[in-house]
Amino acid sequence: MILQAQQINKFFKDPERHQVLHNISLDIQKGELLSIFGESGSGKSTLLYILSTLDTDFKGSLQIKGKDIKTLSPLALTDFRNQHIGFVYQFHYLLPEFSVLQNIMLPAMKLTQKSIEEIKHDALVLLEDIGMKDFAKRPSYKLSGGQQQRVAIARALINDPALIIADEPTGNLDQKNTDIVFDLLKEITKEKGKTVVIATHNSKIYKNSHRTIEMIDGSIRL
Amino acid sequence: MPKPIFNKTNIFIALQYLSARKKQSFLATLGVMLGVTTFIVMINFMTGVNDFLDDAVFNGSPDIIVKSTQKTHSRKQSFDTRINSLENAKKIQAFLGKKENVQSIAQQIISPAILVSDVQQLPGSINGVFPAEEDQMVDLQRRLIEGKGFQSLNNENTILLGVSLAKRLQVSVGDELKMILPNGKNMQLKVSGIFSFGITTIDNVRTYFSAKTLQKLLDQENAITAIHIKLKDRDNVDLKTAISQNFKETNVEDWKDSNKTIVIGNKVRDILTWSVSFALLLVAGFGIYNILNITVIQKRKDIAVLKTIGYSSRDVVFIFLVQSLIIGLIGAFFGVVLGYVLSYMISITPLDTSDFIIVDTYPINFKAIYYVLGFSFGLLTTIFAGYFPSKKASKVDPVTIIRGI
Repeated sequence: MILQAQQINKFFKDPERHQVLHNISLDIQKGELLSIFGESGSGKSTLLYILSTLDTDFKGSLQIKGKDIKTLSPLALTDFRNQHIGFVYQFHYLLPEFSVLQNIMLPAMKLTQKSIEEIKHDALVLLEDIGMKDFAKRPSYKLSGGQQQRVAIARALINDPALIIADEPTGNLDQKNTDIVFDLLKEITKEKGKTVVIATHNSKIYKNSHRTIEMIDGSIRL
Repeated sequence: MPKPIFNKTNIFIALQYLSARKKQSFLATLGVMLGVTTFIVMINFMTGVNDFLDDAVFNGSPDIIVKSTQKTHSRKQSFDTRINSLENAKKIQAFLGKKENVQSIAQQIISPAILVSDVQQLPGSINGVFPAEEDQMVDLQRRLIEGKGFQSLNNENTILLGVSLAKRLQVSVGDELKMILPNGKNMQLKVSGIFSFGITTIDNVRTYFSAKTLQKLLDQENAITAIHIKLKDRDNVDLKTAISQNFKETNVEDWKDSNKTIVIGNKVRDILTWSVSFALLLVAGFGIYNILNITVIQKRKDIAVLKTIGYSSRDVVFIFLVQSLIIGLIGAFFGVVLGYVLSYMISITPLDTSDFIIVDTYPINFKAIYYVLGFSFGLLTTIFAGYFPSKKASKVDPVTIIRGI
């Protein structure tokens, strides 16, 4: 088991106290492709941010790779995220000041477990995997949406994390690019044994996942 | 174990951000540069003028002058041509001899006189000095333009003239002059030296002559009009009050009284230098603050991404602070260089001699400490200006940003 969430409750305090998540318990296995499906406002994004350790303001417990997230200091949590969790967002969020290659290298440059040369090599291998080796030197803002999203996936993989969290990764893409991106995510679980958690609206994605959970009004529908 | 925030990656990211906004970064750097340059040029120039005036005035005049109080002449006495001599001169000297802060003492006898050259007659005054004493008081050697200094006054018929006075009399070293004293006595003199203090008010009237000879000519043996005192610590003028308390019939002036305009001028120049430089650096600082602040607002998403991919708040503070620090370092460095170049150019610019001071080029100070100061100020400003936007950047919450779309 890679992730274990127990009795997670989440409240929003603004504008008034309001419970967004109700007693969510969830186990995620290694190599699993899990999609979280639900309407807007069902709490799926909120759950995703908690699972990705970005939001630590919740009740309940969360263990990732056997580590209790709540025991980590903010600084330790940042390092933990850096090493063990990769992110893909709806709006890819590549940094426009950096080239495609540099964008992919950034998380590894922070981790500093490898030399710059090794990181560069790894990044190029990842670019080849996503079929974009020729774009390495390009400024990231000169790519199309689908290309940017593929680069974002490569960036999420650079530190070889156990868990990839994707928030509506195809929400902004056309059908062709949606297929490419989803195939890529499937490949990651199949060939690299990564765990991928996707929040999505897209029926094609949740139908093709290993497991799907549906969120309704802050609870998991069983 | 937290990694050090000062690392290549963070600096690389900072540089990347800077070079992505070349124009803004350049302008911010320019702002810092101009602030530092202005500071250096102004402080070089202002302290240059201050030091020049200090040197000219305070070396040409004593720190404390003791004179006799003006006697009120009755009408009957108005034809008296006798010099108003300082009483108790011996006692005052003995009193001063015991004082710690006294560096040297020199007595003078000053008499009105008319100086007659071949072409000109000018009313003026004669400063009778004791060469050995006066030598301790005034470094005339450095001021000499022509001829010899005080030692030549040991001949009783020699006189030293200020350069402007000599010009007006149209005499030079070796020429003859006639001196006519109030009591009608006159004497043929030889000009043995011409000096310049650089200040017209001194160079126009100052003469040096043998005090002994003057006393003899005036028939007032041992009469002196003033005691000049040079202090070890010039800023401590307690002696002034001590003298006027102990010797009622004296009039004591210190250098601040005699040079009020220059003292005030120095203060005004100091205030100007600091306030203008401060204002300029403040403007430069605001420039940096603005640029970084706008960047932080525009780049909130990027900052959020950096945080999700593993960069801590401390990394983010550092990344933004380094940007302003780089602007500061480059700006301050070029500011120092340009400050030096401009100061040098001013220092070789010929100055049209005014009536007040006599100098060939603008007086400029080249003290290393001003460059260090300017550099530090430039850097400090940017650190200050960069700190708040950096802090703001570090507070960006990735969740609110990413889900806020």
